[in-house]
Amino acid sequence: MDVSNLLAAQASKFQSVTVEKDTPLDVDAGFLTVTDHNPIDEDSYRSNLEEYLKSTARDGIQALVAALYVLPTESSVDGSFAKLPPPTTQLPRAKPLPKPKPLTKWEKFAAAKGIQKKRRDKKIWDEEKQEWVNRWGRDGKNKEKEDQWIHEVKANADVDFDPAQEARNERKSRVAKNERQRLQNLARAQAAQSEREQRKEELEKTLAATRTSTASMGKFDKKLEGDKKIRGVKRKFDPTEVSAEKEKQASLAVLSQLDGDAKRAKIEKGTGDDVVNVRKAIRAVSKGKGGVALGREVSKRSKDSGKSKRGKR
Amino acid sequence: MLRTVKPKNARSKRALEAREPKEVEDQRKAIFVHGMKTGEAVDKLMKELMALKQPHAISFSQKNAIRPFEDASSLEFWAHKNDASMFVIGQSTKKRPAGIVIARTFDSKLLDMCELGVERFVSLSEFKTPKSTPGHKPMLHFASELFDTHPRYMQLKSLLMDLFNGEVIDSICLPGLEHVISITVAPSKASQTSSALSDGTTHEDSKNLPNVHLRTYTVKLTPSGVRVPRVQLTEMGPFVDFSLRRHQEADPDMLKAALKRPKLKKQDIEKGLGKKKKNLEVDEMGDLRGRIHVAKQDLNKLQTRKMKGLKEKSGEGDGDVSMSTDESEVEDASPPKRQKRG
Repeated sequence: MDVSNLLAAQASKFQSVTVEKDTPLDVDAGFLTVTDHNPIDEDSYRSNLEEYLKSTARDGIQALVAALYVLPTESSVDGSFAKLPPPTTQLPRAKPLPKPKPLTKWEKFAAAKGIQKKRRDKKIWDEEKQEWVNRWGRDGKNKEKEDQWIHEVKANADVDFDPAQEARNERKSRVAKNERQRLQNLARAQAAQSEREQRKEELEKTLAATRTSTASMGKFDKKLEGDKKIRGVKRKFDPTEVSAEKEKQASLAVLSQLDGDAKRAKIEKGTGDDVVNVRKAIRAVSKGKGGVALGREVSKRSKDSGKSKRGKR
Repeated sequence: MLRTVKPKNARSKRALEAREPKEVEDQRKAIFVHGMKTGEAVDKLMKELMALKQPHAISFSQKNAIRPFEDASSLEFWAHKNDASMFVIGQSTKKRPAGIVIARTFDSKLLDMCELGVERFVSLSEFKTPKSTPGHKPMLHFASELFDTHPRYMQLKSLLMDLFNGEVIDSICLPGLEHVISITVAPSKASQTSSALSDGTTHEDSKNLPNVHLRTYTVKLTPSGVRVPRVQLTEMGPFVDFSLRRHQEADPDMLKAALKRPKLKKQDIEKGLGKKKKNLEVDEMGDLRGRIHVAKQDLNKLQTRKMKGLKEKSGEGDGDVSMSTDESEVEDASPPKRQKRG
């Protein structure tokens, strides 16, 4: 049986899907764009403009469709979705890149220590009620102690000691502490962010210094338009007569600012890593005995190990 | 300079957050501005370009005394106010009849502009052919080597791509590709050689720049016997012939800032280019709805109302045995189905 006839019939039924051009077409599948770099065929352009434009567009789109149909697809109800590669053409952005948010103190610490963020559920299991209750908020678990009907009170407690009130105060202080820390983080972020403001302040200071740096302290200088009068710091004088208590306090405040040997050493030890509080860390590691005791212990251990090594030899 | 607004409620806060810069940006919103006088052709052209750009288009249909090449401050103001970053300005003057200006902004500051004169315009309504669905993404076709060599045409290509397709998407529905916008540069005019074209960027030379043909077609995909279908095009309109007029190049520093790419992690790219939150949508009532995948439900195992009359006869066995026969029935029932499908 000769199948060549059949094949020919089949081939004639379907037209070809390949596009042949002198310069291959430049397809950017990510932006669904195809660029044809071939020179224009001027004869056909002049003889039949619309027909020519349509045929070049058809060839280009055929190449683009061919590129799109070989991409990996995902089927859905509406038809198959082709996964597009990232585009190769660079188009300018409409807005600048988002700035990274400044880290909070805890986030900095957690990053330094490699602590992973754990998501806390809003609900917590209550064994007594046998149901999920809010961790905080309405009927929150954190108000459990305030709401319970009986409290354990130490024998030596005051007569007017109110355990429910005490629990409430404790909770309120925790909330206040959190809020304080949040504000501190905000202030820290703002100080770090406003570089422009800092620079402005610096410039203004320099300008003020130059304006008073003539022999007449700027008194006979030519005034420029928009120049403002420099406002200096108003001097304030303390009263000459103060109580002995106040005088003592002032002197002690000065003294406390002077760095003693011990304090200086402490500061030097503390520097180098502003993320981890070294003093706190030492206390934790030495279990409250202090750095000196820890050092003694470590040296003792190393000596012991050294001795044993020698012994083995 | 607009004052920075501090949100007073959650809704306005969300609206402001949506305007903040994103790593992977959405499509540019375009404002279609009418100048003091437009003329019929430009008016219609603007309408039809806007129909192609929908739903990311805003119409400023009132008369605006605007000269973008002399003072771009109102463009910048509108860009900030409407959170839009693209402009199509239609204007017809005695000196420059029937012109449109395509402008683009970066960070609410004007980036670049290109003025095009409308030489010939055939409206969409003059073709009695099927039209594409509004909101569908077009395929773009550029035909000329000038789009990669000549700065004016490179800018035009970039502007048109940004206007019609400038959004990074991770996937596209293939049957949803319905129309094509084809842009072809006419052969260079007889008086000019190709060498003069490459350095001809001054104002006088813009007269010698060859015209640009913008054509819009709908696509019909017919089976071809292989996986890739054969493409057939039908005229859809609008058909426009543009001539190139004035332009404004992008400031190099600004362009450099605009071309900065975010550093995306490989995992993010695999997940969908920094766009998280899949399968979440807000319904008509404004509720956030999540979609989860559940396997097909087996209705044979569904427990319906128990009735004495439906109980299987005790002669076949007791309750436990009847359960097991149920299961076996299910298993028996499924294979013939598969055979039918195959």
